[in-house]
Amino acid sequence: MIWTGNPKIRSLARFFEARWFLSIVLVGVFLWSLTGVDWNGSIVHSGGGSSFKDFSLGLFPPELSPGFMKLAIIASWQTVVHAVAGMTLAVIIGLPLGVVASGSLGNPSRSRLAIAVVVRFVLAFMRSIHELVWAVLFVAAFGLSSLAAVMAIAVPYAGMLGRIYSEVLNDVPEGPLDGLRSAGGSSFSVLVYGRMPMAITDMLSYSFYRFECAIRAAAIMSFVGIRGLGFEIQLSLNDLLFGEVWTLLFFLFGLVLLVDYWSTRVRRSLDS
Amino acid sequence: MRNHASAWRDFVQGRTGFTFARASLYGFFVLAVVSWLYILVGADSGFGDLLSSRAWNNAGGFLRQLLGLEDGLTGEGRPAFLQLDRWGETGRLAYETLMMSVLAIGLAGLGVLLTFLPAARNVSNGELGGRPSAVMGAIYHVLRIFFAFTRAVPELVWAMVIVFFLSPGILPGAIALALHNYGIVGKLSAEVVENMDPGPARALRSAGAGNLQMLAYGIIPQSMPHFLTYLLYRWEVVIRTTVVVGFVSAGGLGREFRLSLSFFQYTDVALIILWYLILVLGVDLISAFLRRMVRTG
Repeated sequence: MIWTGNPKIRSLARFFEARWFLSIVLVGVFLWSLTGVDWNGSIVHSGGGSSFKDFSLGLFPPELSPGFMKLAIIASWQTVVHAVAGMTLAVIIGLPLGVVASGSLGNPSRSRLAIAVVVRFVLAFMRSIHELVWAVLFVAAFGLSSLAAVMAIAVPYAGMLGRIYSEVLNDVPEGPLDGLRSAGGSSFSVLVYGRMPMAITDMLSYSFYRFECAIRAAAIMSFVGIRGLGFEIQLSLNDLLFGEVWTLLFFLFGLVLLVDYWSTRVRRSLDS
Repeated sequence: MRNHASAWRDFVQGRTGFTFARASLYGFFVLAVVSWLYILVGADSGFGDLLSSRAWNNAGGFLRQLLGLEDGLTGEGRPAFLQLDRWGETGRLAYETLMMSVLAIGLAGLGVLLTFLPAARNVSNGELGGRPSAVMGAIYHVLRIFFAFTRAVPELVWAMVIVFFLSPGILPGAIALALHNYGIVGKLSAEVVENMDPGPARALRSAGAGNLQMLAYGIIPQSMPHFLTYLLYRWEVVIRTTVVVGFVSAGGLGREFRLSLSFFQYTDVALIILWYLILVLGVDLISAFLRRMVRTG
């Protein structure tokens, strides 16, 4: 670096690199964010205290009647259905985009690189927008239906999957690929017989992790009117039936734990 | 280092090691087929509409109104994103949204700092100092369940619950975001302590360090960089989610997004999305810069 000669500036640079400087910045930024809260107004709104009490008391016990349990199971199923459908579509869209973004298909040329850069940009755009914002836009464009929810999960998740797929495909060791190339393999056969087999475990592992997130995403699709756990939580909240809210929260908890356990076991099995 | 090529061969031929993953993959395929059938056979999936030109005309019309190429129901004239003062007004909301995201990640970080030590197994069982006790063991389990629960419930659901108690503004949304991310960062940070290299701590212990010194010189220096990195990564996710939480908690861009959409002011929606993308990009860049500082600093 050019300023290494000047001791005064060098110590300044060291100051800026120091961790405690970073800590001060972070604490300062946090304090700045606190000024955004209207501390003089009422933090808890009128009746907020008593509804907090009611909400807490709703836990003892949560609503456990057979009829409601049946409703909660159906709602969980609807959430799973949308998560799975969104996830499959995300893989179907994300895989080809990821392959193109990795730039490993076709002859090496400037145009191929340009296409890869454009696709990377598209993937970044897809995942920049939160799934629920996509959902609101899809509902405005296509009307309220399962389609909107499935697309809303598929688009940003395809953006994330595509990015990770392209990175994983690029990170494979070059040695075996050179072997295939020198044997006269086309870039397509290098991809299918060289890159894919080496990358598949990481790709599957990440996809299963994303599936876990898709469950949560599907649950909040209720916000645009798709049925599922979030939808029922909203209904029960509106009716002030906090016991039911707790039951549904526990169902969501159980569902996420189940998928979490599944995806952890899959990843462990893939890594061994 | 595992051998990828042979792993693939085993995978294709169904040999050892891959049985659970294979079964899961087939299981997922079955689940996918059943799910798609459930959606497509269901009364009103919306996928049938994709074949009709009317649906695409509607969607095209929406897109044109978003881009200001076609006047909507309001006939507002010049698109909002071509008016400088509208950029300023929406920018103030973007500023509020940014504040909300920082507040959320700050609260989550504060919560994690206070609780991640007793949530690490090697701290609670006394491996890294302190005395093992039934109370510490119980605290460990309670914290781990609390992490799992707060993380399983999405931010938006937390926000729906919290607006029942707190006045609208950026605080309820920030708390909702903080709760969910507390669970995520808390679990990750506790795991960092659990997977820590025990060498330095043992050396400190044998040199006669007390519990506080163990913490200051053994645990904090090793776990802090990971903690900050996780926090910064989560900040990138939080800024994307802040808008969504704003839908219900009435803070920042989210509320305006909903209002503009329900008043059919689609060019305003476009302007809000532009600001949203600027925020997301900006936070991604700042976070990447700070993470590099954490690594090298």
